[in-house]
Amino acid sequence: MNKTNNTPSNQKRILFATLLAFAFFIAYDLLYIKPKQNELALQTQAEQTVSVSTKSEQTTQNQAPQSNNNSVSSNAAPMQNQEIVSTITTKNNIIEIDSLGRIAQITLTGEQYINDSGKHLQLFNTNLLKALEVRFSDKDINNEAFSTKVIVNQSQIDASSSEQRLLITQELSQTTLTKELLIKPDGTFSINVNSTNNKEFFITTGFRPDIIADMYADHGVLLKNNDNTLTIIEDGDLANSSNFVGVKIASAFDRYYATVLYNLDTSMAVSLMPDKENNPQIFINAGDGISLNAYMGPKDYKMLKSLSPELTDVIEYGFFTFIAKPMFAMLNYIYSLVGHWGWTIIITTILIKLVLYPLAHKGMVSMMRLKDLAPKIKEIQEKYKGDPQKASMHMMELYKKHGANPMGGCLPIILQIPVFFAIYRVLTNAIELKGAGFLWVNDLSLMDPFFILPILMGATMYLQQKITPNTIQDETQRKIFQYLPVIFTFFFLWFPAGLTLYWFVNNLFTVTHQYFLNKAYDKAREQRKAS
Amino acid sequence: MNRIFAYFIRFYQKYLSIFSHGSCRFYPTCSQYSQIHFENNSFFKASYHTITRILRCNQLFSGGFDHPEVLLDLKKIKISYKKVSIKYWYIPNGNGRFFVIKNWERNR
Repeated sequence: MNKTNNTPSNQKRILFATLLAFAFFIAYDLLYIKPKQNELALQTQAEQTVSVSTKSEQTTQNQAPQSNNNSVSSNAAPMQNQEIVSTITTKNNIIEIDSLGRIAQITLTGEQYINDSGKHLQLFNTNLLKALEVRFSDKDINNEAFSTKVIVNQSQIDASSSEQRLLITQELSQTTLTKELLIKPDGTFSINVNSTNNKEFFITTGFRPDIIADMYADHGVLLKNNDNTLTIIEDGDLANSSNFVGVKIASAFDRYYATVLYNLDTSMAVSLMPDKENNPQIFINAGDGISLNAYMGPKDYKMLKSLSPELTDVIEYGFFTFIAKPMFAMLNYIYSLVGHWGWTIIITTILIKLVLYPLAHKGMVSMMRLKDLAPKIKEIQEKYKGDPQKASMHMMELYKKHGANPMGGCLPIILQIPVFFAIYRVLTNAIELKGAGFLWVNDLSLMDPFFILPILMGATMYLQQKITPNTIQDETQRKIFQYLPVIFTFFFLWFPAGLTLYWFVNNLFTVTHQYFLNKAYDKAREQRKAS
Repeated sequence: MNRIFAYFIRFYQKYLSIFSHGSCRFYPTCSQYSQIHFENNSFFKASYHTITRILRCNQLFSGGFDHPEVLLDLKKIKISYKKVSIKYWYIPNGNGRFFVIKNWERNR
């Protein structure tokens, strides 16, 4: 191995790594834009085809899916927007009930829930399955129910200061269906649904909220079971209907919002049915009557916790949930003290740095001793030019002789990865950080619009390399190492600004630490020379 | 399985290790150590040694020379008397244990 052979191959590697990074982001964006387009296509023809499973003991459960399949034509009408028969206003939202007794739309009235054109966010795509839709197991009743308008006791309800009651009645030839909603001022409600004459039916959470569903975070259906395990089925992953019993919480969710029906006292039996795109849809087996609690809105930790700590499981961060959850708890706690997300991230970074400070300090001090060994290191480098294996072996011998080991170790680097991902997941999944700005960055969960943070990050990384004693023996590898800040800057251009902020502050502290250590060391050496 | 992991490690060494360059406190480095284990030991043993090695690779431990060690039963080894190119040296360490030293000059 000589250097002239080594250089081009190493350059190829850098090129490869950079290309890999680009390919990754291009693929990500394609996958992000595509689902959006699919959803638009979906809006034009929204009807469900249902595959029928034939487990004998579950025939009753599956009949609702079956009847739905048979009534596609009659189903098409209700899918079109029905007239609104009742409008409920609460402190947090406006709930509209349509003439089939379903939730046509929920508008979030909180000031932070505003879209690009300045309008309040609306949770649902009105062309898809609507929340609180009831389906009877009996096909005929089901067809009749889809063409019979309901009667409500009030058409305008103001529940913003006290709990209000809405009674929705649907008179059918064989049964009467009543939905009683008790709406609380915070916009949550409990619901009692009953049919007369023992007619079995299902009630749905409706299709998940459809404000932001992309590849950056999971969206689909989440069930929390009696044993506290979670069943998560992402959109597009449900090929066949499947049934679950012992379910406490059923949630249909996009990135930041969820429609949740739950009963923590009596568990539910839930059927998941795929729509045309294999997206899961929740149908809760109600028998001839059921009582449920409902939460439909942002997956706000504080709000969900105030309803029940159990509900906080509705917020999930994908594969890295186990580490992202404690990370969120920590960030949230610091935020409650500081009241600003940008500073929260900076303080968190400092805390992590402080915990690792003794280790880092030990490493840096050890590295400083290398400065005294510099002539010997140079000697080794000269002697074993072009043989990195031998060179590193002799270096190790030298370290051992002088009781110094300047390397940081593999574990600290590997530990960075989960911390990094946890912050990334929290930034992209936590509604609390949505729209949290910092200086020139409007939204820490999105990329820095002016690329200032990534460039600062690259600059600190460059500085860090400049003032840290170099231990790399191989000339070409040292060159590659010098390119790393550039590669990392490229990586970070598209990352959420909050993550770049974390990395930048992290580097900044390392550099400062190193700078003061260098100064102290030089001073000590001068004193030694003087005396 | 062992081969798949050995490939992963080689991929890491070739393309990703520039990101973590110059951090290992040991000779041979963690990735070399792991690769040698996966090529000379059973899958579970190799995984175990790899994990414990990475856990030891931090500033609380002194680092330095740490060669992979394997158990070998010399009686069970079939010896071929052909001319071979040496990939690994096995250095006896007592009780049937051997240090495995990679022959870095092999491909020169």
